[in-house]
Amino acid sequence: MKNRLKVLRAERDWSQADLADRLEVSRQTVNALETGKYDPSLPLAFKIARLFGQPIETIFQDEA
Amino acid sequence: MTLASKFPKNRAVRALVFAAVGAPVGYLVGKYLAGLEDAGVWSAPDLGWSDALAIVLALLLLGAGVITMIVSANRKALGRQIDPEGGRPATSAQASFYAQNGGVLALAGLMMATPVVVRAVFDPVPPLIASAAMIGLVALFLVQTASSISVWIGSDELMRRATAEISALTFVILQGALFLWAAGEKLGLLPVLTLWDAVSVMMTAYLIIAGVVIWRRGLA
Repeated sequence: MKNRLKVLRAERDWSQADLADRLEVSRQTVNALETGKYDPSLPLAFKIARLFGQPIETIFQDEA
Repeated sequence: MTLASKFPKNRAVRALVFAAVGAPVGYLVGKYLAGLEDAGVWSAPDLGWSDALAIVLALLLLGAGVITMIVSANRKALGRQIDPEGGRPATSAQASFYAQNGGVLALAGLMMATPVVVRAVFDPVPPLIASAAMIGLVALFLVQTASSISVWIGSDELMRRATAEISALTFVILQGALFLWAAGEKLGLLPVLTLWDAVSVMMTAYLIIAGVVIWRRGLA
């Protein structure tokens, strides 16, 4: 699954650690999400969507 | 400029530097110990393959655990490990989480080493010493289990996912291997294994699988 996390984070000038703090996950988790090594659970995806104020489908796109 | 800033940042380069330094040091220490044994100053305990494997695993776990605990005692150093780019000091919650992680690893190493060391020191092991060691092991096991549960509770979803994947993969691979070995043993085709042999193999497989999953998930 592709996502725009890195772009959205960069637009706000946040580091991975800043985003991790806001999402209450580890920096490694943010890194794994951004590099596509891990797809978030639904609760975390909703949390990300709320944080950036955008619908989930504009942040995460199915590659199929 | 500090020593840390001079050190290569790339993990692969760092691993190669450690290997380049560690290999000759290990060779020289081994050669020195072999020389002492030849001179009759010292004799290496007669360990079976699973005992030797258990000691290697125990040293790895103990080493990793102690290093993690030492790093977590220094919030700045821990902060650099958690976030190499940001480099801000770790929070007290992070320090406590990593210290607990280190403790879990160190306790696992201690538990792995204890039966082998007790057998190597007291051979044959007197019943009183065996009972004392076993009581100590049960106590360590309870503390380690409680700490592992606490680490699980404090982990985020990726860490929990990785732990679940490692456990599932280890079970699937080892239950198949255990069945095939047991069948071969029953048919008289394969040598008989002890439970200690099986535990040493299981822990080795667990650590290898953990390494692969952690690398694949970008947690390394």
